[in-house]
Amino acid sequence: MSTLWLIARREFRVRTLSKASLISSGIMIAVIVVGAIVAKPFLADDGEPSLVQVDTATAADLVPYLEATAEAQDADYAFEEADAPAEPALGEDVAGLILGPVESPTLYVEDGDDTLTGILQAATQAAVLDAQVTALGGDPAEVSTALAASAPTVETLGDGGSSFDSGEFFAGFAVILILFFVLIQSSSVIMMGVVEEKSSRVVEILLATVKPATLLGGKVLGVGLYALVQAAAMIVPLLFASWYLGLLGDLSIGVGALLTNFSIWFVLGFALFTVFFGGLAALVSRQEDIGAVTTPMMLLMMVPLYLAIYLVPSDPDGPLTSILTQVPFFAPFMVPMRAAFGAIAPWEIALAIGLCVAAIPALVWVAGRVYAGAVLNTGGRMKLRDALARR
Amino acid sequence: MPDLHLDHLSKSYGSLRALDDVSFSVAGGELFGFVGSNGAGKTTTMRIILGVLRPDAGTVSWDGKPVDLEVRRRIGYMPEERGLYPRMKVGEQLTYLARLHGLSERDATAAMEHWTEVLGVEQRRGDEVDKLSLGNQQRVQLASALVHGPEILVLDEPFSGLDPVAVGVMSEVLRDRAAAGVPVIFSSHQLELVERLCDRVGIVRSGRMVAQGTIDELRATDRPQWELAGTLPAGWTADAPGASVTQAGPGVWRVEAASAEAAQAALASAVGAGTVTSFAPVRPSLTELFQDVVSETEEAA
Repeated sequence: MSTLWLIARREFRVRTLSKASLISSGIMIAVIVVGAIVAKPFLADDGEPSLVQVDTATAADLVPYLEATAEAQDADYAFEEADAPAEPALGEDVAGLILGPVESPTLYVEDGDDTLTGILQAATQAAVLDAQVTALGGDPAEVSTALAASAPTVETLGDGGSSFDSGEFFAGFAVILILFFVLIQSSSVIMMGVVEEKSSRVVEILLATVKPATLLGGKVLGVGLYALVQAAAMIVPLLFASWYLGLLGDLSIGVGALLTNFSIWFVLGFALFTVFFGGLAALVSRQEDIGAVTTPMMLLMMVPLYLAIYLVPSDPDGPLTSILTQVPFFAPFMVPMRAAFGAIAPWEIALAIGLCVAAIPALVWVAGRVYAGAVLNTGGRMKLRDALARR
Repeated sequence: MPDLHLDHLSKSYGSLRALDDVSFSVAGGELFGFVGSNGAGKTTTMRIILGVLRPDAGTVSWDGKPVDLEVRRRIGYMPEERGLYPRMKVGEQLTYLARLHGLSERDATAAMEHWTEVLGVEQRRGDEVDKLSLGNQQRVQLASALVHGPEILVLDEPFSGLDPVAVGVMSEVLRDRAAAGVPVIFSSHQLELVERLCDRVGIVRSGRMVAQGTIDELRATDRPQWELAGTLPAGWTADAPGASVTQAGPGVWRVEAASAEAAQAALASAVGAGTVTSFAPVRPSLTELFQDVVSETEEAA
């Protein structure tokens, strides 16, 4: 056990304290944090309402309607009465100028502003309607209440009705994408580590005192911790930036749920992919030959990623999606994506986790066999079958 | 003192018979030289001792018990193909390897400092192994085999690539370890060195142990030879039963005799025929023994 820890610690220290890793993490953190700090004033500007001047003489009556409409549409505009100059012109920090008469006002803007145009149109109609209702002897307030209450109910029939929610899509997408990058990076690091030990032949000294399974296990553990630190170096500044910029509240799915999802599938995906590829990497003896093992690795990770991205949004609980969810190598990508869409039953998640947990010992066994059989082989690439047969 | 015992080891790679019923033992405090042509099976044997290879048949035991991982952790091993982390600092690397063998952090650091000093690489502790010359890498490699205070030493060609000074240092270290009761097995192609250093020698050929023993035992033969030099008439032949004489060069003859008496008779015959300036037993060097043994077995095959 202590040997495993020693190996893991060396692996972790060598990777984390390597200059390349420190520099890239440092740059990543700096870019995100500095970016958030720099972006804050610009985003905060958006918080200030755009100022629209309304000519006191001709259009003052429109102001309450404008304000009500803007509020109803959740648009950030402030309306201010002002005396329009003879020649219409926009003052400093003024987004628009409205001149009467009330029934057919004129809007002066610098660029086309559809929102403001829409607000003005609705406000004009409301003002005219009010005027007409009053003229007919009715109560404008009653009319407004009646209008507000009249809303249709839409019921979707059939399956194809689930609407595409971009927020959910991007939340799920972000989780599996980060997962993908972390997994592919750690798999590469493990493979390079295995081949480095093989090509430098230090593995022969190590195996004289350590069992192959302990050596591979220590590497996986050490690189796993390293990958966690790497992921944290990416996620923590991102969370900080989102919090600092006030973006956290905008996601409909909770950050906590996303992180839980990420953590579970990070651990499972990590165990599935890195152990397996660590074992396979022992088949090659030189860094130059590593492509022979990395290509299948990329495929084995990219196919589930793409299927999760394309299949889940169009068919979140179709038969193919449901089946693939239960296949160990697909599950780390399918489950978080479907969970982001809220289209997965708890028992499906439990079954997928259970199947992955059950698959891990089998994979560890295969990887350990391949590793132990191939790690002392020198020369060209070893065939998988030979490695399994060799003891 | 416990001894390392190899019992009927066999190993095949596919159709190639790498080891064929190899048995020998090395006692504590003994320096055992392992000699053989390339591909004879020396490295395979050592890898089996270290458990990095599994024999098809046979066992390795230490102190009467099979060698398991616990025992292996107390073996110092220098593989044929040198192996160290190229991008790791010398000091860190040696400490790490010592800790893998079970030393505490403090003991590991102390051992690292001791052996880098003994082997003359103490100035390079902070350098990555990659940055060292091959000779210095070799010294670090030996340090890595010694750093955990092993009870058994198995060194595959520890002398290859070393300068004469380093060869001296390394020989000294091996003698010193043996004197401390450690059985030392090493292979080498530098036969004079093996002859000088080793208590016993084993010669392997094509996976078989064809000869083993002390150098003197290996020299022992049914038909000892003497070399005779002097001035003798042309065409001289010894008039002695059981001895045969062949001219080995101008003024030099080789006398092969079944017994010392027969040799004496040949000498007397020579003294009677002319002047003899020297008469001495031929002591074949390990190189000659090696060549003889290898060619003999070749003929037998």
